[in-house]
Amino acid sequence: MEKGARPNWDNPMQFLLACVSYAVGLGNVWRFPYLCQMHGGGGFLIPYLLMLVLEGVPLFYMELAIGQKMRLGSIGAWTAISPYLGGVGLASVVTSLYLCLYYNIINAWSFWYLFNSFQSVLPWAECPVNSNRTGFIEECEKATPTQYFFYRETLDISPSIEENGGIQTNQALCLVLAWVMSYLFVVRGVKSTGKVVYFTATFPYVVLFIYLIRGVTLHGAVNGIKYMFTPKMEELAKPTTWINAATQIFFSLGLGFGSLIAFASYNQYNNNFEHQAIIVSLINSGTSIFASIVTFAIYGFKATFNYEGCLERTRLLLLNTFSLAEDSVTMANVFEWIEKLNTTYPQQFAELADKLETCDLEVELDTAVEGTGLAFIVYSEAIKNMPLSQLWSVLYFFMLLLLGMGSMLGNITAIITPLQDFKMFSRMSTELFNGIVCLFCLLFALAFTTKAGNYWFTIFNDYGATFSLLFIALIEVISVSYIYGIKRFEKDIEDMLGHRPHWYWKIMWAVVSPLLIIAIFIFYIVNYIMGGTPTYQAWNKELGKTVVTEYPIFGQVFIGLLMVSSISCVPLTALYVYCRKRKHGHQRRQRTVSTVSAQ
Amino acid sequence: MLEKVLFLLCLSSSVLAQQFCTPGASEGYKVRLSIKSALGDEAYAWNENEMFLFRATLAFAMRSQYNGKEFQVSDIIVCDETPRVSFWFVVKSPTSSQLVDKEDVERAVRQYRNRINGAFLLTDTYLEFIGIPPTLAAPVNPGTPPWLIVFGVVMGAVVAGIIVLAVSTVVQKKRKKNQEAEDEENEEETRVKTVENVTYENTCGVYNKSFSDDERLTRM
Repeated sequence: MEKGARPNWDNPMQFLLACVSYAVGLGNVWRFPYLCQMHGGGGFLIPYLLMLVLEGVPLFYMELAIGQKMRLGSIGAWTAISPYLGGVGLASVVTSLYLCLYYNIINAWSFWYLFNSFQSVLPWAECPVNSNRTGFIEECEKATPTQYFFYRETLDISPSIEENGGIQTNQALCLVLAWVMSYLFVVRGVKSTGKVVYFTATFPYVVLFIYLIRGVTLHGAVNGIKYMFTPKMEELAKPTTWINAATQIFFSLGLGFGSLIAFASYNQYNNNFEHQAIIVSLINSGTSIFASIVTFAIYGFKATFNYEGCLERTRLLLLNTFSLAEDSVTMANVFEWIEKLNTTYPQQFAELADKLETCDLEVELDTAVEGTGLAFIVYSEAIKNMPLSQLWSVLYFFMLLLLGMGSMLGNITAIITPLQDFKMFSRMSTELFNGIVCLFCLLFALAFTTKAGNYWFTIFNDYGATFSLLFIALIEVISVSYIYGIKRFEKDIEDMLGHRPHWYWKIMWAVVSPLLIIAIFIFYIVNYIMGGTPTYQAWNKELGKTVVTEYPIFGQVFIGLLMVSSISCVPLTALYVYCRKRKHGHQRRQRTVSTVSAQ
Repeated sequence: MLEKVLFLLCLSSSVLAQQFCTPGASEGYKVRLSIKSALGDEAYAWNENEMFLFRATLAFAMRSQYNGKEFQVSDIIVCDETPRVSFWFVVKSPTSSQLVDKEDVERAVRQYRNRINGAFLLTDTYLEFIGIPPTLAAPVNPGTPPWLIVFGVVMGAVVAGIIVLAVSTVVQKKRKKNQEAEDEENEEETRVKTVENVTYENTCGVYNKSFSDDERLTRM
């Protein structure tokens, strides 16, 4: 194989599956159902699908076109568009680096939960017994066994971000495994990635389908699904709904990271990326909707389970306090009995008042959770109550792992591809270079396995990529539409595909998408300023729940640095290129002057 | 006469004893049974005979715990039965008419809890002694945590995969180097041969290999 030839995907299917594997990730499973629930169930689909058409597919198309045309990673591609814009590519690489650092921790947790599912009793099903065997550990009693398992046995979390603690060996081991596996998948570049994506793109759908069948047959699942599909149209009037829909489409498709440009750069010149862009975007959104049906079925099951547990506890309380015969109060007539006893024994009933819980199915269904809380706490709670819970647990965490690994492939490729375009790194063999990148990321990511690691993870998750991506995407779409020029871009696409893009695309690129992104950008800035000091959820051992805590000064400074470090690449690189051009310009003028004078 | 006195004594002692047993007695415990919740369809009805069994089992527990003291069924005094199936009991010493201390009763009950449960086909959750916490099963501590075993398997497989890939890359590179060395030798030979051919034989119709091999050797 000649050294200079660019490696290629073995066939267009590999490229398609790589894009699907990258775009369909954890966000489809844990962010979209949350947004659906927050913004009125089925009604949320309207802004979501609208934003997909207005913003998602056009930007996706554009990134694929750039990558396939320039046949370089993000830095090289943007430098080719305009030398001053190389910083956009660099910003993408920096953002992808941050993402790589913290994303694999989630895969490490998935591994941990997966390995712990191979036990006769799931460790998060029951509280562990305390030292003198008279009861359960206090922290576990106050919280739930699933929360205890996540915060104490998995993370061993410290009470605040200031208290650092040491590296947790169990997490560190799982993280090493996650990185070693990522290295195995990218070791030969697209040659190895291309084979892996056949599995990582398709198997999650198998698991989701199995879970769909299992989910809808669970007791109480119908409550959840009904809740999801009853649209609350008044939510559509709120601007946050539309902003959240736009942001979700944006991040779900993985725009701005440079992964799409990197993947497309390995394509054949005449690959039909237009069809592929539409297909991948539709698959991504379809998966989100599919995953949220499954999630809502599980929610319904969990809510019904908790509600019936609450009823059972109330029933026992009534039986024991008023010494009634066992079969007189059943779950069906608990509320009637409460009324009856309230009237006949008001005084005794009043004494009960603080022990009596209010059981409400709506309230249970309303508890919306997103992110790691949904995936690792809520879902594992639902799973432990299913019959044959070990099997479902293994399937579920294996699916999470595949989704996460698939996205990691895109993230790592987004760093490797542009760096390998530089002469200095292209002389190294692919395997060695990829190994160095993976090792570097692993060593840094060990910081997330300390006791306060989860809090640092949250900082990266909330602030590492969101703001910079919007900025990058805005610069991207404006530079392609106005600096490179729509006419030139059109010609390039005609060159590759054989036909010009439809006028719809051109309007989106030139007008609609930039306006939309500017709107989201302004909203983000306003929200950040008005939000006051940024806060995080710290786990309180005594209370057994999370408390809202403000970030200390060094935390806030770090957040600022994170956001600025990637954005500043754009102006700094432009400045650097400008200075170099002036210097070169000077030197050339001097030389011409000397030759003229020599004549 | 004597019989009358004895009868009166017995009556008074049982009355006295009954006085000891009150709900909330300082030396007594409340017991609660949830038979229907535990056994569902196979639940038995609570009646006098079951109560007798309870008293007998408790007497057995007290006897076994305190060797030498011969507790009788009559020493277990029960009162305040409710339809819930809950009641209070106190234990009277067999030798005197004093009540046995709360702690002694608790110790006996904890020691023989599973025998008492077994007599009624119930468990700690369904046969509750209010105030006596159940002794929970000791946690099973396996030598190696089970997750470590699965971790070892997966890690081993992945590392093996990487080593296989690395070795195959090295082998491929070596093979290519050998192949290139051979090609160079072949080229030299054919060049010499073609030169010879040109000088010694006709110059047309000679298949010149050196040009066809060119592509493989060209560095980009």
